[in-house]
Amino acid sequence: MTSATTHSPATTGALAKTPAPRPKKVRGREERSTLASVALHGTLIVASLVAAFPVAWIVFISLGPKTAWQSPGEVLGNLSLDNYVKVLTETDFPHWFGASVIVAGGTTVLGVFLAATAGYAVSRMRFPGHRQLMWSFLVTQMFPMAVLIVPLYELLARFDLIDNYLGLILTYATTAVPFCAWMMKGYFDTIPHEIDEAGRVDGLTPFGTFWRLIVPLAKPGLAVTAFYSFLTAWGEVAYASQFMGADHYTLAVGIRTFATESRADWAMMTAASVIILVPATLVFLLVQRNLVSGLTAGGTKS
Amino acid sequence: MITALRHSWQKYWYAWAMVAPVVIVLAVLVLYPLGYGFYLSLTNANEANVARDIGAFHAPATYKMVGLDNYWSILSGADGDFYPRLTWTIVWTVSCVALHIAIGMGLALLLNRKMRAKLLYRALLILPWAVPAFVGVFAWRLMLNSQYGVFNEMITAVGLPAQNWLATPFAQKVAVIMVNVWIGVPFNMVALLGGLQSIPKELYEASEMDGASPWQRFVNVTLPGLRPVTHTVVLLGCIWTFNMFAVIYLLLGQNTTGEADILVTFAFRKAFTGVSDYSGAATYGIVILALLLAFSTFYRRRQLKTEQA
Amino acid sequence: MRRGISIAAAVCALALTATACGSDDEGSTGKAKDAKDISGSLTYWDTSDATTEAPVYKKLIADFEQKYPKIDVNYENVEFASIEQKFKSAAKTGKGAPDVMRADVGLIPEYASLHYIAPLDGTLALKGGTDDFTEGPLNTTKYQGKTYGVPSVTDTLGILYNKKLFKKAGIEKAPTTWDEFIETSKTIKKKTGVEGTYLNPDSYFLLPFLYGEGTDLADTKTKKITINSPEAVKAVTTAKKVYDQASAKVDFANAYDNMQTSFKNGEVAMLIQGPWSVTDDLSGKAFKGDEDNLGFAPVPAGSTGKPQAPTGGHDLTVYQGSKNLDAAYLFTQFMTSSKSQQKIAAETATLPTRESAYTPEVTKDARIKGFHPIMKTARPRVALPQVGSLFTPLVQQYTKILQGDVSVKSGLDAAAEDFKKLLPGYTIGS
Repeated sequence: MTSATTHSPATTGALAKTPAPRPKKVRGREERSTLASVALHGTLIVASLVAAFPVAWIVFISLGPKTAWQSPGEVLGNLSLDNYVKVLTETDFPHWFGASVIVAGGTTVLGVFLAATAGYAVSRMRFPGHRQLMWSFLVTQMFPMAVLIVPLYELLARFDLIDNYLGLILTYATTAVPFCAWMMKGYFDTIPHEIDEAGRVDGLTPFGTFWRLIVPLAKPGLAVTAFYSFLTAWGEVAYASQFMGADHYTLAVGIRTFATESRADWAMMTAASVIILVPATLVFLLVQRNLVSGLTAGGTKS
Repeated sequence: MITALRHSWQKYWYAWAMVAPVVIVLAVLVLYPLGYGFYLSLTNANEANVARDIGAFHAPATYKMVGLDNYWSILSGADGDFYPRLTWTIVWTVSCVALHIAIGMGLALLLNRKMRAKLLYRALLILPWAVPAFVGVFAWRLMLNSQYGVFNEMITAVGLPAQNWLATPFAQKVAVIMVNVWIGVPFNMVALLGGLQSIPKELYEASEMDGASPWQRFVNVTLPGLRPVTHTVVLLGCIWTFNMFAVIYLLLGQNTTGEADILVTFAFRKAFTGVSDYSGAATYGIVILALLLAFSTFYRRRQLKTEQA
Repeated sequence: MRRGISIAAAVCALALTATACGSDDEGSTGKAKDAKDISGSLTYWDTSDATTEAPVYKKLIADFEQKYPKIDVNYENVEFASIEQKFKSAAKTGKGAPDVMRADVGLIPEYASLHYIAPLDGTLALKGGTDDFTEGPLNTTKYQGKTYGVPSVTDTLGILYNKKLFKKAGIEKAPTTWDEFIETSKTIKKKTGVEGTYLNPDSYFLLPFLYGEGTDLADTKTKKITINSPEAVKAVTTAKKVYDQASAKVDFANAYDNMQTSFKNGEVAMLIQGPWSVTDDLSGKAFKGDEDNLGFAPVPAGSTGKPQAPTGGHDLTVYQGSKNLDAAYLFTQFMTSSKSQQKIAAETATLPTRESAYTPEVTKDARIKGFHPIMKTARPRVALPQVGSLFTPLVQQYTKILQGDVSVKSGLDAAAEDFKKLLPGYTIGS
């Protein structure tokens, strides 16, 4: 079985080697030799290419004719936005887009709210049960939902939440919140307790302290939570396709109607994928400055 | 007793109020399916013998309790699939997480230096994280097409033989690991990068004054400084990868030998094609959960021990 | 969706026009009611190709709503990959289920055995009788003596070939046996350099091999699993021979896309394929503007000497728990009427299931003309509720056999063992 992990040198050799020069790189403030500079930038350029290539590739294919996926050579000579026009005008795409915005937006708001309150409580208050709570957050992540989807469906059906945005939002929130709460707890831990003290001295309730003093300071953490919740909802297929009717299809489900049992419309699918990517990338660009600080605070203090 | 309760309530009510929303949502949406799943795993319920009440058709439940039979049939190896799938799931998890951490760490170390175009590199390297998994898998599937895919064109251009990437079990395994590594590295890189930045500079300076080589500094300062982050990332990475459904299910399609299926995809395929086998699916679900719980408990305990040491 | 229905129901209740909405008095038979009096709304799940086929179905629905203005139809195109699980979850809980659904013929026994779909005998859905339906498609709707669907479109597998490439290789006619099929393929490869065929490793495409030897996955009469019978071993050995000697290199994950693309671009000379693919073929450079270049023939025969392929296609089914059964029956009847079928055939070139729908207008379409005679070779598939579950172990073993990991015999033996777990009361043997 170990042989399964052996990567063909053609594919990941370059990647796997990147950690090799690590010992030198810690110094940071020192001057680099030209050779080291070339190696550093060379490695990063290769890695960036590997990271960005699949995305660039579907963008490229989406600009070509219908058969572009099988003969990419034809794309450059036939650049057009036809696929995009078709996706936007001849399908229910705008409708799906709206549904996705509602679901992803709802998940983001709910996710941030739940994660922040729970994270703060666990960070600040040594109440009975806080350890178990953190542990149960982790346990929810172990839950193989794909296999237990039937009980979940029946549960939502009982509450009339099938084919309903709220049902989907709640499901996504369940997926995203445990990790986010963990992350937020870590972030709140880095905010000095003196601030809470100050709030109490000023006569604020615990909620007031949280809302007026702590939340504004926790923006990077909240941004990462928002990003994470948004992505969870934005690109999810399995729940959405099981739970939602055609009036409430999200993008991920909608574009799968471009593929039938016998044939996939790759041209439409690539174009639609690119449009799906745009909001995700925008959200990503908005929060990416906060990503490193926000995520780590959560990670360091588990 | 009651006064103790009241006291506890007065002291902690706002904390409980703040965690209540999460607890309620999770309790309902996670505990219920879990409890119900556990119950199903003790029965022989399937789609044909559960109670149904559909229009003019009414059928009472006719399934019965079978105790631990389902678990026994899986764990004794009688169904012939569990242990091979488990072995591959472990290989898959370990290789993915190892590569995630190794590559993520390497890139984080590089990005943690002063240099030009750092922000651009960082943005590009995090990009796969922003790509919805199904879009990423879909892009890879196009690229890995043995006949029309660009991947084979690229490797033949540098003189390597073209591969039928998604055909044989071995090639499939390499391909799914590759794609999952692509998807998962950014998260690990970002977490580790933040970890690096939180290591106080003074530690490096002190170590340098002691005449430590770069390698010694890495081993004695960086790695210990990163330990809390790596612990978390490894733990979460193992849990997430163990249950990573989308990559394998969507990348390989239906015409496979089943050798590249991990426990989750295997159980899904087995239980939900044709007449659904609810008890079988639930049993697999509970077994997976139990395995991960055991692993996490063990891992956390070991982690606590190293911290105390 | 459900909200729409309940509002409609509420409106009905308010209007107090018992004749207009009460299905109470007639129960589920809906026989005595005048079609014009049926009202309410219903949801229809479609699985047709969203870009090429769905428009004609939507047009028909508009016609239906015009003809029966009291009925409102919600059209939903559901992705094929998840429709089975989705429908079953919805059907079981009653939440989010459609009233009428277009179902693959292979799924009828499963849905019927689980009582998710309603028997249609004696309802409005089959008003006018079933005499007009061709036998093959009609058989697909039967389960344990009752009719659970109305045939909408049908298909089977046959040989599609590139006449020019055949001519270039000096081949006069399409092969009629698997041996000829392999020989033809080799000749083409030798003479033209183009691949002879592309074997689809999907288990559905294995069925003509099995049928050609007179066997199937299992035998419902004797309750025997026959997938490892000597006949089946012979059939799969032939398939393996096609894979080894006659086929282009198979990409297992992208097999369908690749074989289709290779064929329509003229990189492969013949395929075992169905009529649904013909429209796509004609868009490729080997056939575009040259429709006559596409040849049609029945699948090759096995040692029984009779070419046989599975009956495919789709039936319209009615959800047992529908709140508006009368409207659902009426809609099913309308969508499968000869007139509707003619319209569908004219637009999508899928094969109608009614004799009367093969009008000169319809059959003059080259795509339908080519496949229509081949429908004679279609035979019913084994009507087992578990047939969907059987395909998973079968395709896994078949893939292993093709890739040479296991021998034909031991692969099929393993599949038979898996079948046995899925089919209570069945024994292995022929």
